[in-house]
Amino acid sequence: MISSFLADPAFLEDIIRILFVFVLITAAFTLSTRNIASLLTVYAVQSLLLVLIAEFLYLIEGNKTLLAIAVLTLVSKVMLIPLFINLIGEKIKISRDLKFNYLEPTASLLVSMGLILLAYVFLSGFFNEYVLGKLFFMGAVIGLSLTLMGMLVIFSRRKVITKAIGYLTMENGVLLFGIFVADLPFIIEILIVIDLMILVLLTTILAIGLDSTIEEYHQHLQTLKIWSGRDN
Amino acid sequence: MNLLEAFIYSAIIALIAGTVLPLLYHSKNSRKASFVLSFLSSILLLIFAGIILYTGKEPSFPAFRFLPGLDFTLATDRLSAGFILLIAAVTLGVSIYSVEYVEHAKSEARKDIQAALTNLFILSMLMVVLAGNMVGFLVFWEIMSLSSLMLVLHDYTSEENKKAGLFYFIMTSLSTAFLFMGFMSLFSLTGSAEFGQLDYPTSSLTLPFLCLFTGFGIKAGLVPFHKWLPYAHPAAPSSISALMSGVMLKVAIYGFLRFLLSVATPELWWGTLILIAGTLSAILGVIYAIKESDIKRLLAYSSIENIGIIFTGIGLYLIFKLEGVESLALLSLVGACFHAFNHALFKSLLFLGAGSVVHATGTRNIEAFGGLIKRMPYTATLFLIGSVSIAGLPPTSGFVSELMIFQVYFNSSAIPDPLLKVLLIITLSVFALTSALAAALFVKLFGITFLALPRTKYAHEATEVPKPMLLGETIPAAFCILSGLFSSRILALLGFDLGIPDMLLLGLILAAACGLVWLAVRNSGPAKARMSKETWGCGILAQHPTMEYTSAGFSEPLVVIFKKIYRTEISSTRIYSDTRESIFKNGTARIHLIKFFEERLYLPVASAVSLVSSQVSKMQNGKLDTYVLYVFIAVLTLMTFTRYFA
Repeated sequence: MISSFLADPAFLEDIIRILFVFVLITAAFTLSTRNIASLLTVYAVQSLLLVLIAEFLYLIEGNKTLLAIAVLTLVSKVMLIPLFINLIGEKIKISRDLKFNYLEPTASLLVSMGLILLAYVFLSGFFNEYVLGKLFFMGAVIGLSLTLMGMLVIFSRRKVITKAIGYLTMENGVLLFGIFVADLPFIIEILIVIDLMILVLLTTILAIGLDSTIEEYHQHLQTLKIWSGRDN
Repeated sequence: MNLLEAFIYSAIIALIAGTVLPLLYHSKNSRKASFVLSFLSSILLLIFAGIILYTGKEPSFPAFRFLPGLDFTLATDRLSAGFILLIAAVTLGVSIYSVEYVEHAKSEARKDIQAALTNLFILSMLMVVLAGNMVGFLVFWEIMSLSSLMLVLHDYTSEENKKAGLFYFIMTSLSTAFLFMGFMSLFSLTGSAEFGQLDYPTSSLTLPFLCLFTGFGIKAGLVPFHKWLPYAHPAAPSSISALMSGVMLKVAIYGFLRFLLSVATPELWWGTLILIAGTLSAILGVIYAIKESDIKRLLAYSSIENIGIIFTGIGLYLIFKLEGVESLALLSLVGACFHAFNHALFKSLLFLGAGSVVHATGTRNIEAFGGLIKRMPYTATLFLIGSVSIAGLPPTSGFVSELMIFQVYFNSSAIPDPLLKVLLIITLSVFALTSALAAALFVKLFGITFLALPRTKYAHEATEVPKPMLLGETIPAAFCILSGLFSSRILALLGFDLGIPDMLLLGLILAAACGLVWLAVRNSGPAKARMSKETWGCGILAQHPTMEYTSAGFSEPLVVIFKKIYRTEISSTRIYSDTRESIFKNGTARIHLIKFFEERLYLPVASAVSLVSSQVSKMQNGKLDTYVLYVFIAVLTLMTFTRYFA
């Protein structure tokens, strides 16, 4: 019986739409959660949702690449990367990221709603009207807004670990966008994952080497300022 | 490869070798070799330019590919050949002069660098003139600016020179920026980076014209963009001042002419604008020069004056061309170009002479000189030739080119437009005043520097400079006299029949008249009536330098006349001991010479720019988060823009 449901594209599409909503909810959590452990869990869950989306899409379209992407994501983003970051978290003994830059969580959530709208309006400019309700269009919108929300996380949160998670979220957005619209070649997917691994490694070095905040890194940036202005 | 190509390529290679040599081998000999190379290249260039000017041949050279789509082509026609001739003529003297002059730099490294950069500077100016398209022009223009900047900063430890360098750097960058805008707008119009005929409606050429006029005007030192000249020239070594004032300013004029002559239908207001700017530069340059007592700064102001004269000629050319008086248009254009050539020669001669004087006395202050004619007779003679030429006295070349412009003015009654007539009469009177003041200026400069008694011990102890320096000055001096005497023949040889008087004849008559007067004075009257004694000093027993005219004293009457222009500000403060202000306690009084353009034009602009930059710099706060926020905002803006506006 389950197999008959899984063979029905309309049912699968509905499932994917529900998963989209969950993806957005995880993104909202990423923006507002202060506890780093739960942030990590949220990220893992978000990646898992992507795995499921890719899986269901495979069932609809039968494209083998999607399956490969699903496996790759499962291994790297659901298992390896959270494991890595968890290790860092234990080492630097920071469990919470309390402070925000520019946007407090409430404001971030409001802004991210605006972002979803903007992504919708922006992408609708490229397609005919009858496509607007289609699954791939929704996927593109969610992917784009997830990317933008990831960026929002990067600049609105303080700690290196949360910034890294913001970056990872952005990449999830790109992946989602890629699955539905751009049809990224698999090799690029692999390269992106390798990049992410390197990012996480670098984050480790940065976080442990620089006492987990990037205040000191800022001082390095300060020395790069060329023009100090007349009055300071 | 034909002969012409061989000439030009070997000249370029010689200059490159001259640049590299002193940097590779740090010795006196390599510096000497480097200047010998630039001397040789200038001889090659003289022949090259001479052939092209005489035959009117326009050789084309194969293009070099810089980058895909960006070719660099060399091209010469008679206009560029004329300016190559100018570069070569000045380089000839400067390279010999520098052989000895460069050895007086403070350290070995500076000597090497000066020798190398001098060659690079000459090379870049040559390449600007040779450039066949805008890309090459701008590239070498920038190399020219930077190499001259480094030469201005040659003695970089002095505060004054640092300021001069900064000033020059900003002005020259502005010039390049304007040129870039001008060329870009031309490029968007024509779709080609080549220099060629611009057959477009004037309205679309207004922006390129204004940009290029400003850009070249800054570099040429046109009022009100002239302020860098009086700063940069004193800072640079004298041989470099000679090149900068003699050649680099003319390269700007070349660029401007290259644009102007390619425009098929210029407009009358262009000519009027150029004429007014030229006249203003000429008169203000000479008025500021009169008050100056720093010898090199004085010469710098005089360069502004002469650039003004050249621009006057260019403006007249446009006006007469548009009014349909072709003969006068040609006369003013040739006059402007000939004056550019002459100014290059006598100004480099004067700067080299000033360099010798500064070298011998150790100061640039004219008030400290005096009596140098007895101590440096050769330098004095050569300097006199330069002064006579720049003052526009016959039979030197300066006279001829100014005469040509005057002739244009005198014949301007052919123009029917009454308003234009009034303008021409006004500018003519200002131009005449300029010539008279220039003569007064050089009477002052020569008189105070070389005549009478030494005012200080520096002048007293001065000795004649080494032979190479004298020889270096002799070459432009010879050019000044020869190109004056043979001016009508030279111009006829180039195919211009302009009806200017035969200066050779005039010179002979002048010489004969002088000889006759001398003979008459010598042979008339009884021999006893002649006495050789010291000049009568009003009964005072010993003559003393303090009795002489000073530089400030000499120019005082003129300073009084032009008081309004100098704009001195007299301010005083008084403090009284009592409340009724009757018992004076102390106070200050100050006479301040307002640097009008600097204080009223440059500084406000500079502080506005500085204000904007400090606001902008607040955006650069050194925080990663802020930068990511900027990226975020940029992405959102881009998305909105592409959705609704693109």
